[in-house]
Amino acid sequence: MSSRFAIPSSALLQPSIQQRVGRVVLITAALLFLALFLVLPVAAVFAQALSQGLKMYRDSVRQEDVLSALRLTGLVACIAVPLNMLFGIAASWAIARFEFHGKSLLITLIDVPLAVSPVVAGLMYVEVFGLHGWLGPWLSEHNLHVIFAVPGIVLATVFVTFPFVARELIPFMQAQGSDEEVAAVVLGANGWSVFWRITLPNIKWALLYGTILAASRSIGEFGAVSVVSGHIRGQTTTLPLQVEMLYNEYNFTAAFAAASLLTLAAIVTLVLKKIIEVTSGVHQHMEEKEVKS
Amino acid sequence: MSIQVEHISKQYGSFTALADVSLTIGNGELLALLGPSGSGKTTLLRIIAGLESPDEGSILLHGEESTQHSASRRGIGFVFQHYALFRHMTISENVAFGLRVQSRQTRPSRRDIRERVLELLRLVQLDSYAKMYPEQLSGGQRQRVALARALATKPRVLLLDEPFSALDAKVRKELREWMRSIHDELGVTTVLVTHDQEEALEVADRVAILNRGRLEQIGTPQTIYDNPASPFVYNFLGNVNLFHGRLLADLSSQGRGGGEGEANQAAVGFVRPHELEVSRDLPRDGKAVVASIVRIHSAGPQVRLELSIAGNGRPVTAELGRKRFEEMALVPGDNIFVWPQSIRLFDDDGARALLLDQGAGI
Repeated sequence: MSSRFAIPSSALLQPSIQQRVGRVVLITAALLFLALFLVLPVAAVFAQALSQGLKMYRDSVRQEDVLSALRLTGLVACIAVPLNMLFGIAASWAIARFEFHGKSLLITLIDVPLAVSPVVAGLMYVEVFGLHGWLGPWLSEHNLHVIFAVPGIVLATVFVTFPFVARELIPFMQAQGSDEEVAAVVLGANGWSVFWRITLPNIKWALLYGTILAASRSIGEFGAVSVVSGHIRGQTTTLPLQVEMLYNEYNFTAAFAAASLLTLAAIVTLVLKKIIEVTSGVHQHMEEKEVKS
Repeated sequence: MSIQVEHISKQYGSFTALADVSLTIGNGELLALLGPSGSGKTTLLRIIAGLESPDEGSILLHGEESTQHSASRRGIGFVFQHYALFRHMTISENVAFGLRVQSRQTRPSRRDIRERVLELLRLVQLDSYAKMYPEQLSGGQRQRVALARALATKPRVLLLDEPFSALDAKVRKELREWMRSIHDELGVTTVLVTHDQEEALEVADRVAILNRGRLEQIGTPQTIYDNPASPFVYNFLGNVNLFHGRLLADLSSQGRGGGEGEANQAAVGFVRPHELEVSRDLPRDGKAVVASIVRIHSAGPQVRLELSIAGNGRPVTAELGRKRFEEMALVPGDNIFVWPQSIRLFDDDGARALLLDQGAGI
């Protein structure tokens, strides 16, 4: 090629003055925006929570209602998250590995919880399981409480967190393909050992990633839970509901103290997420695959 | 172990992958399934492996009906095009996998497994890589690991699905020669799927050529190359010149062996480039055409001439030895005489061989 067509490498490596100014302006704008709408509010939560001093903060957090809300939130997450891991693995396995009628319908259904407002999700459960709902009479005959009780909260949480594991796993498993599993079968492995020895080790990071997202959402879920919970203090209030109740009672310090717990949970989630991304390369892997294909 | 493929058919929707294919693979034989993409060769291999089930027909392994047996029960080793190594396991764990997943009754002891793995890694010359992971190895090394893994369970049949096609040309050639020597050493019945005719002809004891789900021809590499059964096989096995024309006389009246075909019937003639004779002088019987040299490819042991036949301008390729080429001192633009030393005639739609002749004029 003649040098006439070659772009001098310095032009590629060293941006012009205008480019450099543009870059600085854009970065500054983005950082200012983040500071104003993200960092400042998060800091405000902790500032408000600690505004009456550390002792007051400790007392607020140690209130019986807050503690029981914390326990309930933990319980719900401990039930909803493993259930979603199970559903998520089953759904992604089916979608990524098999061809069947209604596959695209299943993929669409998995996304429904993301499309539907959580309040609607809660109302759907009230309609089905509530006292005047479809199954209500049968349930009350058998003395089973779903709505305004823990099972309802778990159901609502499972619903809103359903897509997280599956959506993380499906593209990952599709990108990995089934070659290794087929190879394992030919080598004489049965279905169970293919799953434990090949599939699970291969998807573990993506699974963990999805699980953390699901856990974070199940801890923070407000709308759907709010509808089905009935706000029975100390019994059916999760931490986000507790925050709202305290806030509505003008108990700001206690509200922000409880909110700070949720914020901490969120920060822990983000850190874990980042650690997984770095150590496993889950998302880099997927990007590479996309480029290749 | 012998493999019998009997009347296998397979349909994917409206696409016919295999149509009534039957063939037998002898004990210890290396058979190549050769064909273009979409010819059904990989489907046939996967049916033999038990990874797909045929719509019709049956697979007999060592005389035993095995069509309904699952892949894990057939005692086969399978090597995939893209290796399919277990990425989260080390090389030795990969090789050991087939032994470790066996049920407690048949599973060898830990010690035996370790020894078997080491033995196999030595066989594929990768014993120093035992602790590494697949991503740390080159493509050729990975495929050797895949072969060791497939051999670990002492399969009675080894099935290879385009094992070298993802590798670059030099590695590919080395690896297939090496694989042939492994085959000779172990004597495992082997089926190799490939779309590379050179690979098939070089490595296999026999070659089966598939086209659009049908078996076109099966035979030793030499038979297939020297006596292609159809125009498709002729074309697929490398460069060939095509001549369309009509028979001047009834072939049977010419008294040439095996010829049949009536006068004035449309026919296609095939002549390989090295079967075309070129000369500056008209041959004694006067049966030759004049052609001009368009281009000369003289890199390599054989010199290839691209010719254009005078009159109709049809392109023809001829090959001749370097020595003869230098004697003739050919340059582009020269006019020379061209005639075939041998020609094979098929009727116009390619369904029937008319003449397989070793010394006819056009």
